[in-house]
Amino acid sequence: MRRVTTLILLAASASALRAAGTVRVVTKDPTGLAVPDAVAYVVALDAPVPVQPPAEPVAITQHDQMFDPYVTPVVVGTSVVFPNRDNVQHHVYSVSPAKKFEIPLYKGESTAAIVFDHPGPVTLGCNIHDWMVAYVFVLSTPYFAKTGADGAADITGLPPGRYRLEVWHPRLAGKVGRELTIAESGDTTQVVSVTLRPDRRIRRAPDGGSSDYK
Amino acid sequence: MLRSKGRILAPLVVFLAPAVAVAGGPYLSATTSATWQDNVTNAPSGDGIRSSFDLDAGGAATWIHTVDFSTLLVTSLSADAEVCTSYSGLDCVALGPQLCLRHKLGLGALAPNLYAGLAGQWVGFNDPERGKFEGDLIFGYSQRASDSVQFLLDGKLGSYDARDVVFSGNFASLVASVNLDLDETWRLRVIGGWRVGDLVANYTAQQSPYGWEPIDSDAFNLPGAWHYVRTFNEPFVAWRVSERTWSYGAAISPAIGRHSSLTLQFEHFTSVGLDRYDNNVVSLSFTRQF
Repeated sequence: MRRVTTLILLAASASALRAAGTVRVVTKDPTGLAVPDAVAYVVALDAPVPVQPPAEPVAITQHDQMFDPYVTPVVVGTSVVFPNRDNVQHHVYSVSPAKKFEIPLYKGESTAAIVFDHPGPVTLGCNIHDWMVAYVFVLSTPYFAKTGADGAADITGLPPGRYRLEVWHPRLAGKVGRELTIAESGDTTQVVSVTLRPDRRIRRAPDGGSSDYK
Repeated sequence: MLRSKGRILAPLVVFLAPAVAVAGGPYLSATTSATWQDNVTNAPSGDGIRSSFDLDAGGAATWIHTVDFSTLLVTSLSADAEVCTSYSGLDCVALGPQLCLRHKLGLGALAPNLYAGLAGQWVGFNDPERGKFEGDLIFGYSQRASDSVQFLLDGKLGSYDARDVVFSGNFASLVASVNLDLDETWRLRVIGGWRVGDLVANYTAQQSPYGWEPIDSDAFNLPGAWHYVRTFNEPFVAWRVSERTWSYGAAISPAIGRHSSLTLQFEHFTSVGLDRYDNNVVSLSFTRQF
């Protein structure tokens, strides 16, 4: 009896695995160049899918007076730590509506994890080093992926059904989205054209010159 | 004299010692520059104007201490050496501490910054009578209007004490500048400045039965202390004058990687009062943060 039950469970699992589809999202700008650091995600339209934040906190490191990674997608409720690997102190903050916080000047491990409990984009900065910037994109869907240098991202584990595909990027000009249906068999590739605003960041290099008159 | 110099620097040392002990750092930076100025003598128009070319190298170590969420206590120690290729008497070394409170009014790159502090400096010249101790009250304000535009205002109230009354004095200055970043590499800067206080002006001299005197007969009308100097390889008299100085200038500064920059800067200074002195200064500097 136990063997039969096991076989049934194995068969069900295999069926579920076959049913889990993958959406490969390929992002390109209007000139056809790949767009890295974009967050591609799908939202189930048939029924909401609960999200489960990871047990371990996600780390956004400060190294060489830069945040790494530049874009971090997380689900609602995820804890994020900000270890400082520099030999200078940083003052990490956000004034974004989705998460306002600040961690006063520190080196080494950050004192506490920050829980990102509302969906939306969160811009991170250092109140000492104005050029430091990074983004946390907080999602209320478990189906997401970040594009790599080739502009591609694979969203895996999608049960059959109707979804809305959206793409977010820190410099995205306008909203990008479309509906798609995941069938029981086969994966799909979605090529998404995104228009980005110019990449303007605060200059990091030091000031030179002086105007001391004696 | 030494006692008065000690009075200038002692409070700085007292403040610096405990701050440095608990702060993060040192964060190091170095600057080297080449400067040409067309009126190093600070002479009125006429035959007293001499130009010079200077080479300069210096460094600074900075410590940062957190006072509260938005306030930093920044202490630094800087050292600088300058070679004047035209007049060796102007070769100098400088060493000085600085203690500064910096406060940011809010979070974010666009929040305004305020600072106020004390700076002290000892400057030793090859021409020993020019050696001096200087104490300054410094203050300023800066704010970004966007990621690419930043306004800065730097003020200074200073007093310097040399071994000679001609080379001692007081001043107040304000420098306003606007940084415009064309992209992450190229920065343009526009500068405007105002200064009021003592200057040293130099007039060509001739020997009379009464000693060395300025050739310019109008110079006799200048009030203040003056005496003969050997700094410029020919007879000059140095005068302590009180003037108002206006300046304007511009700079272009390409970043070299993330930690360095090159800056080509031009400034014109016009000092007016009992006499008028014009000076054009062009400098090329390289700054590196470690």
